[in-house]
Amino acid sequence: MKRPTPAVWAALTAVLVGAACITLSPYFHWVTSWPAGATLPVTSWIGTGLTAAFELLKPLARTISTLLSYPMMFANTVLVNSPYSLTIGILTALGWYLGGIRLTLLVVSGLGFVLFSGYWIASMNTLALVFVSVPFALLVGFAVGLLANEFKSINRVVETTLDVMQTVPTFAYLTPLLLLFGFGPVVGLIASIIYAAPPMARNVMLGLQRVEPEIKEAAIMNGATRVQQLFLIEVPSAVRQIMVGVNQTIMAALSMVIIAAVIGGFNDIGWEVLLTMRKAAFGQSLVAGLVIVIFAILADRMSGALAQSEVRYSWRIALAVVLVSVALATVERSLLPGPDSYSAFKGLAAAADSYLNAFTAANGLVLDAVKNGAMFFVLLPLKIGLGQAVLPFTWGFMWTKWMSAAVYAVFGVVAVVMALRGSAVLGLSLLIVSGVMIVGIANLPWPFMLVSLGALGWVAGGPKLAAFAVTMIMAILLMGLWEPALLSLYLCTAAVSVCVVLGGLIGLVSSVSPATWSVVRPVCDFFQTIPLFVFLIPVLMFFQIGEFSAFLAICAYAIVPMVRYTYHGLTSTPEELLEAAVASGASDWQVMREVRIPYSLPTILLGLNQTVLYAFSMLVIAALIGTTDLGQQIYLALGQGDVGLGVAAGAAMAILALVADRLVQAFAMKQRQALGL
Amino acid sequence: MLQQLPPPAISCKGVWQVYGANPEQGLKQALSDAGGSADEAARLLRQRGLVPAVQDVTFDVLEGEVFVIMGLSGSGKSTLIRTISRLVQGTAGSILISGEDILTASKQRLIELRRNKLGMVFQHFGLFPHMTVCENVGFPLKMQGADKTSRRKRALEVLELVGLSGREDAYPRELSGGQRQRVGIARALAVNPDLWFLDEPYSALDPLIRRQLQDEFLRIQAGLQKTSVFITHDITEALKLADRIAIMRDGKIVQIGTPDEIIVNPVDDYVREFSRDVPKGRYSHVSSMMSLPDRLPNMPDDPKIGAEMTVDDALASCMALYQPVPVWGADGKMAGIVHPSQLASALQSERPA
Ligand SMILES: Nc1ncnc2c1ncn2[C@@H]1O[C@H](COP(=O)(O)OP(=O)(O)OP(=O)(O)O)[C@@H](O)[C@H]1O
Ligand SMILES: [Mg+2]
Repeated sequence: MKRPTPAVWAALTAVLVGAACITLSPYFHWVTSWPAGATLPVTSWIGTGLTAAFELLKPLARTISTLLSYPMMFANTVLVNSPYSLTIGILTALGWYLGGIRLTLLVVSGLGFVLFSGYWIASMNTLALVFVSVPFALLVGFAVGLLANEFKSINRVVETTLDVMQTVPTFAYLTPLLLLFGFGPVVGLIASIIYAAPPMARNVMLGLQRVEPEIKEAAIMNGATRVQQLFLIEVPSAVRQIMVGVNQTIMAALSMVIIAAVIGGFNDIGWEVLLTMRKAAFGQSLVAGLVIVIFAILADRMSGALAQSEVRYSWRIALAVVLVSVALATVERSLLPGPDSYSAFKGLAAAADSYLNAFTAANGLVLDAVKNGAMFFVLLPLKIGLGQAVLPFTWGFMWTKWMSAAVYAVFGVVAVVMALRGSAVLGLSLLIVSGVMIVGIANLPWPFMLVSLGALGWVAGGPKLAAFAVTMIMAILLMGLWEPALLSLYLCTAAVSVCVVLGGLIGLVSSVSPATWSVVRPVCDFFQTIPLFVFLIPVLMFFQIGEFSAFLAICAYAIVPMVRYTYHGLTSTPEELLEAAVASGASDWQVMREVRIPYSLPTILLGLNQTVLYAFSMLVIAALIGTTDLGQQIYLALGQGDVGLGVAAGAAMAILALVADRLVQAFAMKQRQALGL
Repeated sequence: MLQQLPPPAISCKGVWQVYGANPEQGLKQALSDAGGSADEAARLLRQRGLVPAVQDVTFDVLEGEVFVIMGLSGSGKSTLIRTISRLVQGTAGSILISGEDILTASKQRLIELRRNKLGMVFQHFGLFPHMTVCENVGFPLKMQGADKTSRRKRALEVLELVGLSGREDAYPRELSGGQRQRVGIARALAVNPDLWFLDEPYSALDPLIRRQLQDEFLRIQAGLQKTSVFITHDITEALKLADRIAIMRDGKIVQIGTPDEIIVNPVDDYVREFSRDVPKGRYSHVSSMMSLPDRLPNMPDDPKIGAEMTVDDALASCMALYQPVPVWGADGKMAGIVHPSQLASALQSERPA
């Protein structure tokens, strides 16, 4: 027999520890729940520490706050008080200049919708924040990227920080900022600067790194000083990548400004969505949500045109548009209605509401059946295990110990048989999965989690990654956030599994059928532009507040990268490999199975990685519609101004995301190396 | 008293360029392990996962000389000139440019040298993608502080020289490979450097424009007495342009010599391989085969053979003779004698008798 590989050892260890935990758990309570005595009061330490630190920083923070409030007030006054015809005119002229007639039409119709929706003033309040935060974010991001490129010693630190910042949930920024800067729109502004700067920094670093070495050397040989090299040659050569960063920063700033609306009270568009959602006025909240989507699309297309194409359209026409709008603006006050008096879609919203009511009334049974079916037969068993979820009143029978024993026995035999036939890892994994299904993710014993994640880390990336995973998970245990963390893990696992299967399938079909892709692609583009917030509206409309709605929203948001990467992975197989396979007489299906899928596996794994990160970031937003996990803790902390809990729960969430990220990346890397890429 | 000679334009002594982790340490260790033998040290370095791209290279390039470097792909040619121009920091050895130690030169001094004295044409062009052709060519002038109009004027001049008039406002991406290379050449020419490095400058060009630019190169070289270090894969180009040729193999220089020496007296099969397809009579000269004995033999015929004649030409006028003939120098004095059979055998066998 072959010597067992490390993967076999890892799986075997996980199985043994899992079995030990299951046997011991009835006798030792601490196996399933981390003893409260062993919890460090980290939350309150962080709370008191930060509060003390904040006391010191407050004067500085308040000064910054005051300083920032000037440009903010200025932007706000200008945008809110300018005649809307002027604002629309200028943005339209910009749209024309950057993107010609198509973008012009998009801008006009989009802003027209905003105006007629009656959300003009609220939108301008939001836009004012974006206008101020974007330049700051760009500046900060650019400076950080440049410094990281210049000083190799800080490069790694910066990169790790950016990685971590990417995983810190959005709400988690808000609580400490709220304490530090005081209640007010400045918090949203600063959160948005912090949140939107990293993509810029990343792209600046990437762009500068990718400048051809000979171009850099040519600058040196021509006697340019370092500053000249940087600003005359390297930055301009990297401008495309940097513009991608600009686009991402704008989108992130917009998204964060809208999310920051949860602290409430500033009559901005995010707040409108939240308010209408809470009042269950879904028709109206759909209109407000559409306004957000419109701004997101406009921002994306305009900065995209700025980044990707060098074609510019006649500035004369742009000027003419501006002049016309100036003329309109002068008569606006006397001839046109004020921006508040439009409400073209009120009737429509009401109609949508009543239609929706009628629909839910008529199909209530079906909707409930869908929801309950999914809850009782899929989500709940995953959460608390078949052992607890199978009850006479839902499943028609009671789960007994004997059934568990039978399942274990069957899968144990399967594992042994498969081990003998050479696929021990798969067999053992099946056994582990059966155990998880019976116990439930929310009840997983922590020793098992520590060992199995450590083992996974070992297999994927060696002792360093194993140590990283174990330490990180230990940190969550010590913080006493184990239970909500498992709940996050459960919801995330459920959503990611659905995304992998469904998204993988859609990607697969798209890769063989261009017609499908031509439909799927714009949908993906669209889903990736809308701010996370908006995903909540449609699910709430049909399934009310609760875990199922949260689950659906996460799936909808997180499926996109899976589809995209699967498609790209499968379609980017080098032509000559495909031809070699066909020439060897492979059928279509064989080409797919033998060449395309293995070759694209690293790419698909990266898609999985993105999906996991997306799921985690949506998890926090989903706290708004009723979850019980870490996201909810973060949201609660925000409401109570509890920095300790907010930061600790935010850190726990970031840890989960980071561990998942590192594990999947390591597997992707391994796979790439195995393929010699 | 001996007249003080001007220092050579470039003087390299024991230059090493090792790539990999911690190269200085690795090289020291390998040299001491190998007991000072460079070949053995290089072998050890390779064994230890380092890349000795240039190994213990020593040579001088004289003022006004065209020094051509040849060698197979990956033999370290680009690395060598990048080390000399200090685009990469050499691992060991000393490099003097006009007597000045370039390895210890300050940052400021390097910038000065590069602005005023050095020029480089890159193998893959190294054009700035965001600048027009004219701005690219004008860039070194901009670094010197020239104003915009004079930059454009000079740029147009050199662009005309390389046959790119009319394309001055195009962007590099709009040009063909050969056109881009000519922009690279024009950029290096713009400031009239005293010493320039050309890394396969003509490889991407079609034969016609290549010949034209080679002639142009010789003309500029003759007129301005620049010193050039020129990398090429093309032996005919090397023979046409070079005062001396260095042949590199796996990071070492295996032979340095005049074109005649390289084709007439290759040190080993590797070098011989380079000139195998070259019509030797056309590229070797009588001067490389004549001798000047103390006692002149009987020479009944004088076909008026000059020392600088190619062997082909000389042979054409003395093919029928069976006695040694005198060879005349450019100054009209006898420079030596040569036996016609000697010339003939040089063409036939690989190694002259
Ligand atoms: N930055 C680097 N790091 C590691 N190895 C390098 C580096 N640059 C060059 N090398 C190695 O040094 C050796 C010499 O490379 P170099 O580019 O000097 O070759 P070359 O003679 O110019 O070849 P070509 O004719 O193809 O241009 C090669 O083996 C190359 O792989
Ligand atoms: Mg080279």
